[in-house]
Amino acid sequence: MSTAPLQVPQTVMPSVIFRRRTVTIVAGVSITGVALAMLSVNPFEFIRDFHFVVNLVSQMLPPNLELLWRKTSIWSSLVQTVAMAFLATLGGAAIAFLFALLAATNTTPSQVARFAVRLILTTERCTPNIVVLLVLLIAVGIGPFAAMLSLLVGSIGMFGKLFADAIEQVDIGPVESTAASGASRLQILRYAVLPQVAPSIVANVFYAFDVNLRAAVALGVFGGGGIGFELNVARSVLRYRDMLACLLVIIVMINLMERIADHVRRRIFALETELK
Amino acid sequence: MDWGDVNLRRYSKHAKPVLVFALLVLFAAWECEVSLADLANGLRKGLMMINLFFPPDWQAFARMVQPALATVAVAALATPIGAVCAVVFGLAGASNIAPRWLRFTTRSLIALERGIPEIVLLLILVAAFGMGAFAGVIALVIGSIGMLGKLVADAIEEIDARTVDSVECVGATRAQVIRYAVLPQVFPSLVANTMFRFEVNIRASVLLGAVGAGGIGYELTVAINQLEYRKATVAAIVSLALVFLAERGSDILRSRMVAAERLQ
Repeated sequence: MSTAPLQVPQTVMPSVIFRRRTVTIVAGVSITGVALAMLSVNPFEFIRDFHFVVNLVSQMLPPNLELLWRKTSIWSSLVQTVAMAFLATLGGAAIAFLFALLAATNTTPSQVARFAVRLILTTERCTPNIVVLLVLLIAVGIGPFAAMLSLLVGSIGMFGKLFADAIEQVDIGPVESTAASGASRLQILRYAVLPQVAPSIVANVFYAFDVNLRAAVALGVFGGGGIGFELNVARSVLRYRDMLACLLVIIVMINLMERIADHVRRRIFALETELK
Repeated sequence: MDWGDVNLRRYSKHAKPVLVFALLVLFAAWECEVSLADLANGLRKGLMMINLFFPPDWQAFARMVQPALATVAVAALATPIGAVCAVVFGLAGASNIAPRWLRFTTRSLIALERGIPEIVLLLILVAAFGMGAFAGVIALVIGSIGMLGKLVADAIEEIDARTVDSVECVGATRAQVIRYAVLPQVFPSLVANTMFRFEVNIRASVLLGAVGAGGIGYELTVAINQLEYRKATVAAIVSLALVFLAERGSDILRSRMVAAERLQ
């Protein structure tokens, strides 16, 4: 009687990590391939056509910085761009706060209003800026006002959800104690809710200003006025040296505004800790 | 008789900031040519125009599918390429990997990139490469490098130095240290940020399309310029759906990744 040695089935199992990696790589390569084919883009074009870039850069250099003092409209359009972002951020924040009070579960007067406002906010957040701008350009006419309004609408969508979430996470303790001392609904908001959400509102406002400033430049290109408009004009008449000057001005402006916003924010937070 | 005095003193502290602020707002409003008459007029006109935009011309929907896919393809191509480039920039911009001069150069390059809005980049690239998706892809790649590169560099600077030390101790080369000690530590945050960037790139891709990168943004502007408003509504709805799906998709993927990490 002979017993065959116990045979352990030897299946070659690829490890989980190996399998996962293969799937990722195959998916990545196929998505890239499909996308390339769909756009009929040849990646080697970048190398083949690189002389166009070199050519363009040589046409752009040196930047025509004379523009800065010869054409004073550059400065006013720069201020206009900043003003657009500033006003849109403030207005957006103010309107979004009202919306957020309606949209937060703990402050909303009715469920129907809450649902409706949430729906509006989601739609707004998903609508690309350009769609809003194109519609507003027809309604209000070309100019910085239309661009400002479209930034404002975008800010409402962005802020509304953030503020509503912040209000929903408010500590219930202060609210109840204020209510217990006989405060009206408005007084509860002022003395129990607002102090708790103020820091997050301030932080978000500064972040949104940063985003809106860049967007204000971009919307200018489509006829929203401001420095983006100047840049686009310089490009469409092929004055590339003027264009580079505008670009440099934009970069300096964005960096400068970032610094100023940082400074103001630090001052505000210093003030807040002082008050406490 | 005291209350007026007290109140005044209490609020006088805020008077100066409030005044400065109000003046700033007024100045900004004047700069932006804000006019309530225009707004009222625009609202009236807008309400009248709603009739022009509705009902959407659904027959145009079939012609919108291809541009919509092109918009997605631009973002789908630019995001991974941007992420890979961002790793290179991140390594070169981290103080614990790169020498000081290289870190400084890379960091200023990334900061410069972030300072330029994508649309401006696209305008320059269109001047070089001509209109088309290609310029759009490159603009988004550069934009992605600007954002992801900074995040990766910051993440690398905060990695656990002990892992790097122990891999170095067993005689690993510099490349091996990066492969086995640095990259695994920053990979999860990179993937999460890349997904977020994909969402941003979809939005940007719609916008860039309007300036000549093709896709749904282009269809939208063309429809509006040709006064085919009901067709424009379809394009707007399609781009809205794209952004919504991208947001949902990246949310779901991210939460699944977080869940998978918890399991490990």
